[in-house]
Amino acid sequence: MNDNQPQPETAKGDNACIEGPLVNGVTLLEPLLTLEDVCKEFLMNDGTTFVALKNLSFTIKNIKDKPQIVSLLGPSGAGKTTALRLIAGLDAPTSGCVLITNGKGLRAVEIGDVGVVFQKYPLFEDLNVLNNLMVPALNAGMSKAAAKEKALHYLDEFDLVKQGLAWPVQLSGGQRQRVAILQQLMKERHFIILDEPFSGLDPVNIMNVIKLISRIANQHTLNTFIIITHDITSALAISNHIYLLGRERNEEGKAIPGSRVMKEYDLMQEGIAFHTNLAEAEDLPRFAEIRKEIKLIEFPKL
Amino acid sequence: MPEKTSKTSFRHILTVYGQVGALARSSLLLIWLALFLLVWFINPIPSLPNPFEVVQAFGKMYNTQGSGGLVYNVYTTLKLNLVGLLYSALLSLLISYLSILPILQPFNKIVQWLRYIPIIGFYLVFLTLFTIGWPMKVAMLTAGMSFFLVTSMTAVIESIPNLKYELARVLGYNDWQVFYSVVVRPNLPQMIDMVAQNAAMGWVMIPMIEASNRTEGGIGAQLFAYNATNQLAEVYAYLIIIGVIAILEDGLFVLLKRLLFPYSVIAERA
Repeated sequence: MNDNQPQPETAKGDNACIEGPLVNGVTLLEPLLTLEDVCKEFLMNDGTTFVALKNLSFTIKNIKDKPQIVSLLGPSGAGKTTALRLIAGLDAPTSGCVLITNGKGLRAVEIGDVGVVFQKYPLFEDLNVLNNLMVPALNAGMSKAAAKEKALHYLDEFDLVKQGLAWPVQLSGGQRQRVAILQQLMKERHFIILDEPFSGLDPVNIMNVIKLISRIANQHTLNTFIIITHDITSALAISNHIYLLGRERNEEGKAIPGSRVMKEYDLMQEGIAFHTNLAEAEDLPRFAEIRKEIKLIEFPKL
Repeated sequence: MPEKTSKTSFRHILTVYGQVGALARSSLLLIWLALFLLVWFINPIPSLPNPFEVVQAFGKMYNTQGSGGLVYNVYTTLKLNLVGLLYSALLSLLISYLSILPILQPFNKIVQWLRYIPIIGFYLVFLTLFTIGWPMKVAMLTAGMSFFLVTSMTAVIESIPNLKYELARVLGYNDWQVFYSVVVRPNLPQMIDMVAQNAAMGWVMIPMIEASNRTEGGIGAQLFAYNATNQLAEVYAYLIIIGVIAILEDGLFVLLKRLLFPYSVIAERA
């Protein structure tokens, strides 16, 4: 973790994931990231307190031979972005804790431990694409030669070689998204959160993004991608675990402040995770059942 | 969007956000300049010297040797302008960039407030601190322009979206790396814009500063002297020179920005 070694990860590397569905069942190893009773409150202008998250808890465990792709799914206002900021270390929880592995055990998350691909894909506009990848690695202590080699490797692998010397303003939305994801990977780490990566995309591009994320995630078994989304189908297609975030309701049907995990879907147990052909996965009866359940039963309650 | 953008088309000059070509834009500028010249030739204001008198004044001043001559005075003022611009730009960049440190924010605010006070009000302060003549003039111009530049430059820094800081922080940048990558480096093109905009303020201050420090001459000292003797043709000749220099400086800043920060020009076009 964070060892800054100039070793571009490839799908053929020692730590690369085994492609396709799990044959011998799921083997869960050590916990990689844990949220323990996390609460987040905000003081409002009128002096009242707004409870965004209340006792949010979940654990992401290392899956043997597979990457961890977890979706935090919920409607608008369910506290997904607040959760993202806490997991990334951008904000501190009011109570509870976010713990992350350091290879030996768990410790409190620090800013920089988890990469974030923000919704609008911000890049350093004054640096060309190559330097947008290289500079974070250089700042992390990597040598110039190693940083360049790794950046060029990524550009080549993700079809961005021609854009290497382009300025971010000259990139298309899809290219910008790829650069933003790769930029986060330049600093040797395995945790990445993607904020609404499917937002505003047409179905073809959504499928491309799903394939891209799967491809990057599969490069290392420790890669842990957390996807913040309200797109049920995409979350089901890409994840091996889904947590539904939402608020409980009182007897009158009014939402009680403070979101938490309302339901958990283990898609590995359901047999719909890790499909190499995403279109086929969507045709599975269980996929359609869960989608229907979330859309028609769970979401309206959140 | 017009269906076809002609390089010379005048068809869209009355359309909101109408797109006209470079040639049409240049032609419009020339037409407006010609209109101004026409008004000047007609000369509805009796106290305004006519263009022929101003041209004659140019010739007379150009042929004058020594400290009363056109070349000497333009050189003196241009030198003051450039040195003042350089010093104030560097000083303002420092004060503005360091406004990210809470301890320096009140200082930054006070410097911004000082722009409301005419620089001439600090005449005695400068007189006490600096030798009369060149050092005092440079100090007054630097300080006067900095009050405005700090305001504009700080506004640029304050407008940096929080997302940019957060991007750098999640990439694991330390404080100084965030400062350089988010605050300093990306905003240099905008700082050039700010210097260019505030250079005009410098030209407003220079006549006042040179008029109060007349030992070395300069356009300000000449304007003061010609005004006092009612030689308005010479006054307007110098005002035209100031205008031309200011326009050239403006072009120089645009060129500088294009050469040093090509991405900023591409971003503006995008």
